[in-house]
Formats: sequence, structure tokens, C-alpha cells
Amino acid sequence: MPANIHDDLFSAEAIRDPYGFFGALRSEAPVHWNEQYRMWVVTSYERLVWTARHPEYFSSEVALRDNAPPSPSIPEEDMELFAAVRQWRAAQFTQNDGAKHKEKRKIVHGYFTPKAMETWRPLVRQTVNDLLDDLQGAGRMDVMHDFATPLTYSIIASLMDIPPSDRNFVKELCGRMCGFDGNQPDRVRMYAEGVQAVTDYLAPIVAERVRDPGDDLLSVICKGEIMGAYTRDEVLANALLLLVAGHETTNDLISNGVLAFAQHSDQFDLLKTDPDAHIVNAVEEVLRFDSPLKSIQRVATRDVDMGDGQQVGKDDRVRWVISSANRDPKVFDDPDGLDITRNPNPHVAFGSGVHHCLGATLARLEGQEAFAELARRFEGFELETDPQDLEYLPSVGQRTLLNLPVSTR
Amino acid sequence: MARQLKITVDYNVCVGNAMCETFAENTFGLNEDRQSYVKNAAGDPEETIIEAAENCPVTAITVEDAETGEILFP
Repeated sequence: MPANIHDDLFSAEAIRDPYGFFGALRSEAPVHWNEQYRMWVVTSYERLVWTARHPEYFSSEVALRDNAPPSPSIPEEDMELFAAVRQWRAAQFTQNDGAKHKEKRKIVHGYFTPKAMETWRPLVRQTVNDLLDDLQGAGRMDVMHDFATPLTYSIIASLMDIPPSDRNFVKELCGRMCGFDGNQPDRVRMYAEGVQAVTDYLAPIVAERVRDPGDDLLSVICKGEIMGAYTRDEVLANALLLLVAGHETTNDLISNGVLAFAQHSDQFDLLKTDPDAHIVNAVEEVLRFDSPLKSIQRVATRDVDMGDGQQVGKDDRVRWVISSANRDPKVFDDPDGLDITRNPNPHVAFGSGVHHCLGATLARLEGQEAFAELARRFEGFELETDPQDLEYLPSVGQRTLLNLPVSTR
Repeated sequence: MARQLKITVDYNVCVGNAMCETFAENTFGLNEDRQSYVKNAAGDPEETIIEAAENCPVTAITVEDAETGEILFP
């Protein structure tokens, strides 16, 4: 193994600066066997897109197919719970391949088309304005807790027609689930508790909407049961998936973006010159520069020749790294620079291929409304903490700031 | 007789989500790079093709009236 590569995916340095950590891998060994965590790590843009677009070789049925012991390890007494969690995760529509995946995705896909999502723009804009009206006078905010989370939760709650006032309760439970791709020994127990409590919360609402569906997103999922495409367990798993994924990742988009603008004030100044003209490309650039999802796991369905003498074996874990592909100098000029006018910008923040993020259009819309209004209202942001002290969730999957305190000008 | 359509896929935008193929399987397929291509512009009824284009998550598909050039989607 080349000298500047090591395999500790959870080292403080890899969590703080995934770009340096995975960037070294990309230039030395773009398809690399990580011995410590027993998985292939794919870091080049070209290999990522190829892998993502060959789902017949790289299965999304990760919960069912990944039979290797949890890594990092969990306590022996949690193994039974881990088996139950795997069964539960397998009920998510994303954990399917081929024709089954198409059938199950189709139930919810139509809800998220660009045309359909556009009808939500006025509500997103109003919510952004209401939140910023309250925050503007204070001269400071914790971007994650005061702006991003209330915004994104309020929107997904509106889409699903569930009470936005339950935010703190649901957020606390979501927090327990977010550590699943982490390294905490109790993460499976925490995850199972979160799933159980949110499922208990959603179950009576789901039962009612299966009986009498409306046109909200939760009803759309429930119609999957009425049409025979989902079981009740699948309805609950998908409802929870879309509730969590429908706001957690967008929180990261907004927080990571404000951090990027705080550290690249020239780009925020440029956005301010004409927010409406720059906003679409600016959001794409923020998505590329510090993507909410760092990596995604698959399981090989057969032996695969990855080139350069690297042979992935059947049933091997394969993890492709978005954060690294989005900084690949073979695809992006000045990849480590933030350039809000970058166009074209073929980033893979939403993945690629048949599993391309279902909520991409919603995330874009929320990002566009949030950053455009921040640019209209504020001169800039200053971190209230040393950048070295910013804390991230210790996860190989998510790029999540725990807090982002800034003063606003 | 149904009007003829001109269907174009923007390869700078297409992410290979294959929803076009899911909605209009006789019209769209996936090429070697796993991006969408038009295998038969008259493969499905016009409303099915428009529905497929609407369901593209990145609006990579343009549908026109082949004779008049009228944009039918987006």
C-alpha cells in the first residue's frame, strides 16, 4: 500500500477532511481494497459512474446480501437485533434491483418529477422567508439547528401531511438512526430504537391513509399497498425512509453550503450580484463541492474486473465515494476550488443510474430558495468557531456538521 | 394517424435513471454508457412518451412535433 494511504475510514482526519483522505486514494489507487473494513473503495469519477450504472454487477440489496460481519464490529449480544434491522432495511424500495426496483420506485417516482416539485416552490420560499425574518435581527445563527432543520422538516412534513410541530420528537429519533454508517458500537441498538419509535408514530397515520388516501406523499406510499406493490411493512419502511432522507441530507446541503460561502466570501459576493441569475449553477456547485452524501455501498453479484488488475469478488462489499469523484481533476478544472459559475457541472452528488436520488429535485429546489434568499439578505457569514474545531458526524456515509454557529452581517 | 415525434436526449444531462424506459419501454432504451436513447420514436402512444419525458428526474428529454417543430415537452 502506498505510504500516504491508510485504511482508517473513521480517523479524525478522514472525518474532518474526506477530500484529502479519499483524494490520496483516488490518485494512488482509485479501486482499493480496504483491509481494515473489508470493502472495496472506489474513488475515481469514471469508475464510480461505471459502477453505479452497472447495477446487475453491484446490487443494492445490501441489507440482505452483505453477510460479512458488521465492520466496525458490534457487541455479540446485538447480533440478533442486527439481523432484525437487516430485515427491516430490506423493506425499503431502494434495497431492490432490476424489475422489482422499477416496480417499487415507480409508486413514488411520479410524485417527485421536476414539474410536480415546482408547485411546492412558493411554500418553500415562504418558509425560508418566515425563518429568516425571525433570524435576521439576531446577528447570528446555528445554521444547522436554527435554519436548515426547521426549513427542511417543515417542507417534508407538508409534503407528507404530518404535523410539523412533531419536529423535535422525530428529529431526536432520526439522530439515533444517522449513526448506522458510523463506528459507535451501540449504533445498531440506537438505530433499532429510532426505527421502532418512528414506526410507532407513523403506523396509525398510515393505517388511516390506507383506508382513506389523499394526494399527499404519505398517501402516495400507502397507495402502493392498495395497488399490491408494497406490504404494510414496506409502506412503513418507505415512509420512514422518505421522512428521514427527505430532510437530513438537505440539512447537510444547506449547512455545508453556508460553510463553503463563509470560507469563500468572493463566491458569496458574486452570488449576491444577481442571485436569480447565479442560483441554479451555485447550488450545483455547492452539491459538488461538499456533498451531503459521501459514499454509497453495494454488494458484488459476481466476480468483476475493475481494470488495473483489481478483481472484485462475488459478495464483496463495494463502496463508491461521491466526495472523491466530485473532486476528480480528470473531470473538473480546479476541483478543490468553489466556482458558482461552473457549467457544465456533471457532479454525482445524487449518485447515478437507476438509483439516482428520488428527491434530487426537491433538494435542488430547497437549496435554490435558501441560498438565493440568504444572498438577498446577508452580506456574509463568519464562523464563530475555529474551522478545525467544526465537528462532523463520525460516518462514512454522511457529511453532516453537528453544529454550524455563524455570525451574520 | 398519430403525428410523428422528434425525441431528443441531452447526453450532458442524462444520468441513466431509466425512468423513460420504465414508462415507455417501446420508445426508450439504455445505450452502452447506460444513458437513454430513442429506439423507436413511435414505439408508444404520444401521451405515454410525454409521461416518460415528464418522469425524467433531470429533464433530459425533449419531445417535438416532427413536422411543425412545436415543443410538446418540456
